[in-house]
Amino acid sequence: MAAVIETHDLTKVYEGAWKGQDVLALNKLNISIEEGEIFGFLGPNGSGKTTTIKMLLGLIFPTSGHLEILGRKDIGKPAVREKIGYLPEGAYYPDFLKGEEVLRFYGQLYGLTGSELKRRIAQVLETVGMTRARKRLIRGYSKGMRQRIGLAQALINDPQILILDEPTTGLDPIARKEIRDILAELRSRGKSLFISSHELLEVELISDRVGILFEGNLQTLGTIDELLTERDLSIRVADATPEKLKEVTAAGVAAEDSVRGTVVLRVPSALDLFDALERCKAAQLKVVSVAPRRETLEELFVRVVGDAAKQQEGPK
Amino acid sequence: MTARSGLIRGPWAIAVYTWREGMRKRILIGFLILSLLFIFGANLMAAFMSQSTVGEVEADVDVKLIKDICVTVISIFGVLITIFISASAVPTEVENKVIYTVLSKPVRRLQYLFGKFLGIQLIVIINLVLMGALFFIALYVKTRILPTLLLWSILLTYFEFLIVSAFTFAVSCASTSAVLPTIAGLFIYLVGNLTEYLKDVVRRSGQTGMWLDEAIGKTARFLYQVLPNLQNFSLKSQILYQAPNDPPQDVQVPNLILYGLLYAVCGFLMAYWVFRRKEL
Repeated sequence: MAAVIETHDLTKVYEGAWKGQDVLALNKLNISIEEGEIFGFLGPNGSGKTTTIKMLLGLIFPTSGHLEILGRKDIGKPAVREKIGYLPEGAYYPDFLKGEEVLRFYGQLYGLTGSELKRRIAQVLETVGMTRARKRLIRGYSKGMRQRIGLAQALINDPQILILDEPTTGLDPIARKEIRDILAELRSRGKSLFISSHELLEVELISDRVGILFEGNLQTLGTIDELLTERDLSIRVADATPEKLKEVTAAGVAAEDSVRGTVVLRVPSALDLFDALERCKAAQLKVVSVAPRRETLEELFVRVVGDAAKQQEGPK
Repeated sequence: MTARSGLIRGPWAIAVYTWREGMRKRILIGFLILSLLFIFGANLMAAFMSQSTVGEVEADVDVKLIKDICVTVISIFGVLITIFISASAVPTEVENKVIYTVLSKPVRRLQYLFGKFLGIQLIVIINLVLMGALFFIALYVKTRILPTLLLWSILLTYFEFLIVSAFTFAVSCASTSAVLPTIAGLFIYLVGNLTEYLKDVVRRSGQTGMWLDEAIGKTARFLYQVLPNLQNFSLKSQILYQAPNDPPQDVQVPNLILYGLLYAVCGFLMAYWVFRRKEL
């Protein structure tokens, strides 16, 4: 598959007003987004995600390194922008406009007019499920509806690449699921999606690959299956009391969750399963089930960011 | 769609959007309502005075009162509206992130700025026309003479506002909030109206032969040549003391329009120079 976005040693330093106040926001980022994939771009606040997105859109400029979009380095040119759709985080859409008026405005910026513009507006409203609300003023929209209109404006030109900054933040579970379904549908149509988000569960459910940034440095990059390996095991036990659990957890097994009278114990990969089961038996815990346990994206994120922070602090 | 039509449609869509949004700003509506109230109030006051006085001299005083208040109100509120809208158009869009969605589309920064500036001018013109129309009607009702001089005055006032708008807009492109450009806009307006006094400074300088005196004279001459002289656009005294249908005197209207356009282009180019590589 061809790469639609490529960054080569992309670096951004924000210059401070005084000497020594410069901030390294992004340090030699090298990533490649393939055609038809959803790429989850993760990182804590201030890690360089928005800086990267702004550089992809030509809103700010790299200090060194360069990036290519669809094989072109002149990313500010209208010919390149025509292939990109962008949904910023928490964008404002004027209250006095109707949903379809907002889309008309953005469509006109692509040079769409007349029947072509009308057709595209109807199409994207249908895609985001807003056809019935198209004549309503934005001020009467819920947060989820505003986000859908935001997504619709990003899709108005039928872009090849979609850059989405926090597409599901602040939405209720139903709206999240609906947005997720729309994004999955876009991928099935061959679109490439670059998603920056703090909603790790959403990213895990939808992304093909993820990259985790910390303080401007890319810490890890890979497919979900590569990164979220079945590292540990889980043992579900019944008849658990705090005293009994104490005996087991002392050996490094962690009590994770309690569900309807049973407790899930996490056995780290470093420990022997049979040893853990022996301990359960000795503590008179009734073993209900044993299952391989895949690390969640949230756990990976916390581990990677935690390790990076420790490494940065250095040995004390 | 041809490339040329795309070049025009983008800025035009931005201009219409800017105009529609700007006309809904509460502070702007407030200025406009206040100015219209003042103009209306001047007429009421004049009508009240004309009931209690008789004779031609008193009638002239009434007309002069209307003219005086209306010209001042249009000048003050007009420039406030111009400065406010020119100062806030771009920083507001940066704040609410609309600019990100616009500039991520195939819109060049020059086109974006041109669209915003065009939208600002639509707002300024509409406000000026509204205020001017009320003044025009009031003066016509009072004198029964078509006040054509007022039309010339409003035309020149617009070009005065255009200069203030262009330079305020340039400052706003370098700023992250509307506060600094608003202050800068007021400063530009004041300086532009004081430029006339630089002529006196030039005339009086160099009489003592001291180097400081010479330097002040040279600086004043340079500033007089560079800064726009907004007093050139004022027909206030002619409106006050001449018949409403007299032609404008001692002013070359086409030259003044060209003068206004030239400064506006300079202001706009400054805005583009600041904005073309601005990090958003």
